[in-house]
Amino acid sequence: MSCWGQSDMANIATDMSDGSTGLSKTRIIQIMIAVAVLLTAAKPILPDFLIRLPEAWIPPMAVWMDAIFNFIIDDLKLAVLTRWIAEGPLEFMLDTTANLLFGKRRWPNFEPIPWTAIAATAAVIGYYLGGWRMALLAGGTFVWTALIGQWKIAMQTMSVLAVAAPMAFLIGLFLGIIAWKWAWFDRAIKPILSVLQTLPFFTYLLPAVIFFKVGPTAGAVATIIYAIPPMILMTTLGLKKVSPEVVEAGKMAGCSKWQMLRSVYIPAARTEILVGVNQVIMLCLAMVVLTAFIGMPGLGAKLLAMMGSFKLGRSFEIGVTIVLIAVMLDRMSKAWVIKLPEHFERGTPWWKRHGYALATVAAFVAFVLIAQVVQVADHITRQQSFTQGKELDNLIKGILAIDAIQAVTEWLRWFLNVWVLIPFRNALLWIPTSAFILGIVTLSYYLGGKRPAIYAAIFFSIVALSGWWDRSVITLYAVISAVIISTFIGIPLGIAASRSDKWSKRILLACDTAQTFPSFIYLIPAIMLFGVNDVAVVFSIVIFTTVPLTRYTIEGLRTVPAEMTEAADMSGATAKQKLMSVQLPLALPTMAVGFNQAIIFAFFMVIIAAFIGTQDLGQELQKTLAGTELGKNIVLGMNVSLMALTFDLTIMSWAEKRKKALGLG
Amino acid sequence: MKTTALLSAAALAFASSTAVFAEDSSDPIVIPIHNWSSQIVMSNVVGQILEANGNNVEYVTTDSQAVYESIRLGDVTLELEVWEGAFGASFRAALEKGGIVDAGDHDAVTREDWWYPMWTKESCPGLPSWEALNDCAEVFATAETGDKGRYLDGPVDWLKHGKERVEALGMNFTVINAGSAAALWAEIGAAEADKKPVVVFNWTPNFAEAVWPGEFVEFPEWVDGCDKDPAVGPNPDALYDCGNPATGYLKKAAWDGMEGKWPSAYKVLTNISFTNPQIAEMAKLVDVDEMEPEEAAEAWLEANPDVWKSWLSSGS
Amino acid sequence: MTVDTPVISCRNVWKLFGPSPRQYLAAMPQGLSYESIQADGYIAGVKDVSLDVSRGEMLVIMGLSGSGKSTLVRCFSRLHEITGGEIIVEGQNIMELDDKALIDMRRQKMGMVFQSFGLLPHRTVLDNVAFPLEMRGQDKHDRRERALEVIKLVGLEGREEYFPRELSGGQQQRVGIARSLAIEPDIWFLDEPFSALDPLIRREMQDEFLRLQEMLGKTIVFITHDFDEALRLADRIAIMKEGAVEQCDTPDQIVLNPATPYVRKFTEEIDKARVVHARVLVKPLNGKAPEGDPFPAERTIHQLARQLVNDTRDEIPVADKNGTLLGAMNRQEALDVLLGTE
Repeated sequence: MSCWGQSDMANIATDMSDGSTGLSKTRIIQIMIAVAVLLTAAKPILPDFLIRLPEAWIPPMAVWMDAIFNFIIDDLKLAVLTRWIAEGPLEFMLDTTANLLFGKRRWPNFEPIPWTAIAATAAVIGYYLGGWRMALLAGGTFVWTALIGQWKIAMQTMSVLAVAAPMAFLIGLFLGIIAWKWAWFDRAIKPILSVLQTLPFFTYLLPAVIFFKVGPTAGAVATIIYAIPPMILMTTLGLKKVSPEVVEAGKMAGCSKWQMLRSVYIPAARTEILVGVNQVIMLCLAMVVLTAFIGMPGLGAKLLAMMGSFKLGRSFEIGVTIVLIAVMLDRMSKAWVIKLPEHFERGTPWWKRHGYALATVAAFVAFVLIAQVVQVADHITRQQSFTQGKELDNLIKGILAIDAIQAVTEWLRWFLNVWVLIPFRNALLWIPTSAFILGIVTLSYYLGGKRPAIYAAIFFSIVALSGWWDRSVITLYAVISAVIISTFIGIPLGIAASRSDKWSKRILLACDTAQTFPSFIYLIPAIMLFGVNDVAVVFSIVIFTTVPLTRYTIEGLRTVPAEMTEAADMSGATAKQKLMSVQLPLALPTMAVGFNQAIIFAFFMVIIAAFIGTQDLGQELQKTLAGTELGKNIVLGMNVSLMALTFDLTIMSWAEKRKKALGLG
Repeated sequence: MKTTALLSAAALAFASSTAVFAEDSSDPIVIPIHNWSSQIVMSNVVGQILEANGNNVEYVTTDSQAVYESIRLGDVTLELEVWEGAFGASFRAALEKGGIVDAGDHDAVTREDWWYPMWTKESCPGLPSWEALNDCAEVFATAETGDKGRYLDGPVDWLKHGKERVEALGMNFTVINAGSAAALWAEIGAAEADKKPVVVFNWTPNFAEAVWPGEFVEFPEWVDGCDKDPAVGPNPDALYDCGNPATGYLKKAAWDGMEGKWPSAYKVLTNISFTNPQIAEMAKLVDVDEMEPEEAAEAWLEANPDVWKSWLSSGS
Repeated sequence: MTVDTPVISCRNVWKLFGPSPRQYLAAMPQGLSYESIQADGYIAGVKDVSLDVSRGEMLVIMGLSGSGKSTLVRCFSRLHEITGGEIIVEGQNIMELDDKALIDMRRQKMGMVFQSFGLLPHRTVLDNVAFPLEMRGQDKHDRRERALEVIKLVGLEGREEYFPRELSGGQQQRVGIARSLAIEPDIWFLDEPFSALDPLIRREMQDEFLRLQEMLGKTIVFITHDFDEALRLADRIAIMKEGAVEQCDTPDQIVLNPATPYVRKFTEEIDKARVVHARVLVKPLNGKAPEGDPFPAERTIHQLARQLVNDTRDEIPVADKNGTLLGAMNRQEALDVLLGTE
């Protein structure tokens, strides 16, 4: 493809102009590849330390980490403070929402709010934000939840969400403002945020338990920490974008610093801040389900229990509830972003001005009253629920047992395992550590340039030094296999869908749904189709990674400027020529972002796939959850994060360069 | 529903008030809930018994291994299902660190070992003998195991020593580790459709018995020291050359501060003892009859008053 | 303070952008050109400017984009910190004000209108206009009353509850104007207030603005890149180029006597007769007796054209509104302004 040549030319040009080295970039890459190949080929005669680091060289990182944490916990008594927060204000807030939503016996000791009141309130708010369709979505989600018999567990989840999301919002907003105000803080926090965003969620969970007590408190803390980074980034972005004239208008109005922030900056950055809120809500919901692993009751815990007793139908129903809640919260918060205040003529009576607020209160009160006399309006008992668990069980089992499907999966299992995955894994494991690191560094250098290459070298050396090399390679192997397979699925799918508006929309909707469906529900069908082996692992990752690849392919292709495609048409290009020589090269930087996200997702999912049965870092991480091996937990999580960051830095710097070269954004 | 339970609990509390130690704290007793049904129902049953005893009770969902650390710290008050095989190690480790006490055994015994669903017998009629299993190893072969049989063991961290046993007994099997209990069930569920023969790790008491009838493979009988002394068992040079104990314990554990804070409740806890059929019954209420755990607990308590009331009254 | 002391007075004001402007300015040799400064890595936003603005006067600062006119006006209100020189506003050296005093000065004395309006998108017209009052802590009732008053003044009655996005550009700028007037400022800064508007609306807004100024009589610093607009509005015009003031004078003088070739380029295309007033062509009588009826001094030559062509006198007396004789103007000179010199 032409663009590769161009990017090389550009790189060479910049490197030459640096004049720092006498060697061109291409020559350096050739030399690096040659050395890596040589190291691999010469494995039989290589000194041992180049093949695998000897045990004796590996520093006891886990022990150090443990020592650091023990120091923090025992000597600094930080745990006393965190425990106080957990048992004091945090638990109080969680207990209060828990009392209101599902009647936990705590202050203010009310009866739980009837489901009809919540559904009706949601519907009115939905109508206010987005008309009938939104009202239907918001009300319908709660009606479904109640009728399917999941009200209480859904409310357990919501009660944590109701505390975690606002907390994450406030903390993120606060840190975002600080990062915007003081550049040094921004610089300090950026790498921390990158690490947080690539850290496997198991690594959030264990410290949360140790510092914040098992159960909802730890779950809430893990959720909050997980959801903060995008809020910080969006706040900073929004504040930086406030128009200088608005700022000057504020100053000329004689605003004090605090007035400036409160009345000028924050309201003017409203859109970005609300986009941050949307992301906070979505991440909180994703995490609040996963915190079932550390004792968070609710949808996630029920899902785990259902999966533990092989109830596919009920698991699926819970999955649907989670998707509905996610879609509802997503759409409502997005509607809120674009919702602009309405004006009322002077003299409009107050009840008209506050019509929606009144309707909300009225709906709420009416249904609370109705629920006092009508039991169904208050809660749905098990006998009244419409759950189709058993029927769905049979349906799913029936589908999986269809001969044609079985024949295909049998073949795939045989082909992929015997001819692709296992040989590939063994080959990766066979490569000497030194050659492997050199290979990765070469790739980073080729794609991203000097900086990413230096990071790659440092990061992978740390991975090697951590003593978990083989497991890291197996993790990487699953990630690479899955991303390659999903490239073959996602990109053609994206190209096909991008041709029509209708299909683009449909496929994007499917992407949204697939992404919000709780990831670990995929595991059971994966096992039933392929058995406990690497095919199932890769398959479950592929479901997750195909989504961003498809999405960004569609977006990349559809945002190619119209003049360019028209120019191609006028030059007499066929559809295929147009695609290959105009659209794809221009869409490539955007597609690279999708590729990057696919890799990050793969690193996320491969850890979850430990539930199928793997021999990678995820399996070890899962083990640490059961115990108290905090140090090991963090070292493992760090390895995952470092590998993910290497790819992130490389691909993003490539995409940046391409964009600049193409004069896009 | 809930109100009736509360009322009856209150009535009982009143009736047995003479038995209640005045000094039982009004703080809630925290009972952990894990992710398998018998434990969830049992926790609810015991919770309702303790409420009948006049205590406040609260449930918290926790990891079944991490719970021992939480008990040591007093975040969780007790644990009702300490399986010898699965949690013995975590429990013993916690005991050594201190903060946790052994609150006695249930009548029930536990067993964990190689297991197969009944349909497997058709392709390998010599079962349950392990030698017969080994003879038809190729029946269990899959694409990636070649001509060796495939045995799906529990997650590595359950430390079931499947690999060691295959080597010690010279079996023609490859051991694959599942990542979770759910993975085991999915494998059996997938095999069920066309009655494929499988042999997997399983345990009792467990809901799976009700869903898929099956049997444990009979290995050379467990002898004490089989895991420590190579001389014990049929292979004089190897460890793990026997089956697992067929009668493992099922214990209760408690925070060591429980006796001081809720002496009456602690007494009740030590009295509690369930049998295998009782546990299976509880699991069935949820797994087969699809009840919610609280309802299942109420139903069980209502059906078996003579079992649990004695635990209360002997409290004095 | 007497009426004659200037409201704003600036002496040798410098504003440099770059890594360490103060040190650079201190060490800089005198009379360095804009280009040489640029070559040293600094941009001279404002270059050695000295100006006075008198009470009630409208000073228009005219220049092309990048000439430093917006920077200069931001120095007056200390939105920019100056690098050198001093700026005295109402007898106060504004560089010596602390934060609180500066905020106070802006709250009591200054109003500013922006090119892209700078309205707060989440506030209604009423709340936007009341914003400066709210900032200085006026009570809700008072500020509402005052805001309604100024809204009426700019002709936006009935739109109080609208949001900025619901208004046209011209209307939005009326909100901007109303907001800047809400605190009854003594000094009014307008930074290209009409540049973002369509030509027709711009004309209408200029008329509107003149009407307001008639009523209010504020001290005004008005920025524009449009020479016609400057001529139309200004008492005095300061023409800027590369941070420096090329010429600062009345429109008549600028048109008649452009100080530099740069200024001349602007004046060449202008119909001078529409700018030049009879008053500026007046010469002392030196004892000569005036003949016939005097011309009014406040008329432009263009307005006097017909009389001028028909008149036969060589020297025509000129009198002001009160009939006081100011002197006489040379008819030939006046005709040169009218017809141009070939």
